[in-house]
Amino acid sequence: MLKFIARRITWTIPVILLVILMTFFMMRLIKGNPFQVTERPVPPAIQRNLDRQFHLDQPWYIQYLYYVKGVFTADLGPSLVQRDRQVNDIIKEHFPLSLKLGGFAMLFAIVVGIPLGVIAALKQNSIADYAVMTVVNSGYALPNFLIATLLIYFFAVKWREHTPFPTNGWGGPASWVLPTLALGHAPMTVLARIVRGSMLETLQQDYIRTAKAKGLRSHRVIGLHVLRNSLIPAVTAAAPLLGYLIAGSFIVETIFGLPGIGRYFVISVASRDYSVTMGITVLLSIIIIVANLAVDILYGFLDPRTREVGAR
Amino acid sequence: MITDRRASVRDRRAEFEATLTRTAEARAQEAGAATQRASLLRDALYRFARNRAAIIAALAFVVMGAFVIFVPIFRDADPNAVDFSQSFLSPSWAHPFGTDEFGRDLFVRTALGGRISIGIGFAATFAIMLVGVVYGAVSGFAGGWVDNGMMRFLDALYGLPYLPFAIITLAIFGRVNFWTMVVALTVASWFTTARVMRGQIITLKENDYVRAAHALGARWYRVLFRHLLPNTLGVILIFVFLELPTVVLGEAFLSFLGLGIEPPKASWGSLAQDGYTAYQAHPYIIVIPSVCIGWLIMSAFFIADGLRDALDPRTREKV
Repeated sequence: MLKFIARRITWTIPVILLVILMTFFMMRLIKGNPFQVTERPVPPAIQRNLDRQFHLDQPWYIQYLYYVKGVFTADLGPSLVQRDRQVNDIIKEHFPLSLKLGGFAMLFAIVVGIPLGVIAALKQNSIADYAVMTVVNSGYALPNFLIATLLIYFFAVKWREHTPFPTNGWGGPASWVLPTLALGHAPMTVLARIVRGSMLETLQQDYIRTAKAKGLRSHRVIGLHVLRNSLIPAVTAAAPLLGYLIAGSFIVETIFGLPGIGRYFVISVASRDYSVTMGITVLLSIIIIVANLAVDILYGFLDPRTREVGAR
Repeated sequence: MITDRRASVRDRRAEFEATLTRTAEARAQEAGAATQRASLLRDALYRFARNRAAIIAALAFVVMGAFVIFVPIFRDADPNAVDFSQSFLSPSWAHPFGTDEFGRDLFVRTALGGRISIGIGFAATFAIMLVGVVYGAVSGFAGGWVDNGMMRFLDALYGLPYLPFAIITLAIFGRVNFWTMVVALTVASWFTTARVMRGQIITLKENDYVRAAHALGARWYRVLFRHLLPNTLGVILIFVFLELPTVVLGEAFLSFLGLGIEPPKASWGSLAQDGYTAYQAHPYIIVIPSVCIGWLIMSAFFIADGLRDALDPRTREKV
């Protein structure tokens, strides 16, 4: 097991380096000199000094190494548009909100999605099952900008007198509810679908029939055998769920006017603040990679069979 | 007496022979029907046709296709004509989907937006299939260190977040039109197809008929194109309908963030963004394009589901 973890962690480092390299190259492909975007051209002498300061006079691999060093020492360099600010400061300012929102949404997805999936599977082909699956399919199909907008329209505009929810902003628990629902809805449906599917598969296993045959009460069968074995595959859903959360946060933060990292990313692209764009991309990549690593290791604990196969 | 008996025996014998031929003919007919059905495509079609959800989904898909193709042809309202006296009309006979801020008819604009959304969806899906199948086939067929290297590269790509990756790709092009959008969506989402195709090829490679082909001296390209790739067509078809909704949704997200095709052209995502700016007074403007997106996603999803049941032999017994 230790060997498996060690190998898995070792493998993560080249992946991070490769991801940084790809992001680095993509950013280089974007045309334009960041210091020549203003109306006033920079004199050549100053241009040279700027180039030297940001290592732009070095070949690309040296620049890349500087950037990697920056990533590992948590220094992502200055913002290109807000000259007096560091990318680090911008991330520090905007990231906690996104983290909080994502955490709430994930919690909502788990607390609502898993029970829904369990109910649907236990009452397969009943009205409850169809009702759950309708909700689940709607969440899969309807884009979250519609869900966010409808939530605002009904709860914050139409029924304004009866509900405490504001249309936008991030100031206190009442304002957290609607963004959490809007962001958590899609992951919730994904989780419910996966749990239902894996429960149905587990229920057909021989050991469940054995457990029933030897006279275990049904709630013990379900609690002890079915739930434990069918929630393990749900762990692998963590990676796609994270993808949903990140993509969704861009939309939800924009709609609710939340100053999070997703919204700032869109702003940074629009204002061509490429060091911020790159910094946020690298940050999100590292989060995804570390989450995948954690899932693999957790899965290795939960299902020992994957340790050999999963060793990559 | 004797002749009578003989006659009756002859009769019975004839009767018996007649039964025999009848059953033989009937059997032959049944067998013929079964053989006809047993061809891969007919068999799959037969199963697909018996799947009610899949058929409804396929009909819904066709209805949406007809809507986006025919409405702009038969409706002569200019989709870009600005008329402020007509702005924000609620849905009515003259304007079934209402009008927007500039008084433009949303019925025809939604259909045109559908052309762009679905067009981008199919083009990007096709590109994803092309890249994914080639990458996966090469990786799975080559095996060894080539396979290992290609898969590690794919692992790294999985670490990139989807939307930022697509957004940066669009920034590299510097402008957004139909084709740059297709490229951006393809670049950001071809990995899954590649990985699945590689798995398919590796599984198929172990089959006896592939070994036999090798043993009979077939060249690698014959094995690949004659024995391996045709057997993955089913999976490719399923993946077309799984990728299509993802891509359409991705395009809608980008357009909603204001990074979509440049106006006055509009996709469903940019129509929804227009609607978002006026949602408090006129919620229908954002609802209609969003429901169109949902309609397409849902029908593609159930078609993929039906295709999987129809084409995957392991699930056949359950149908």
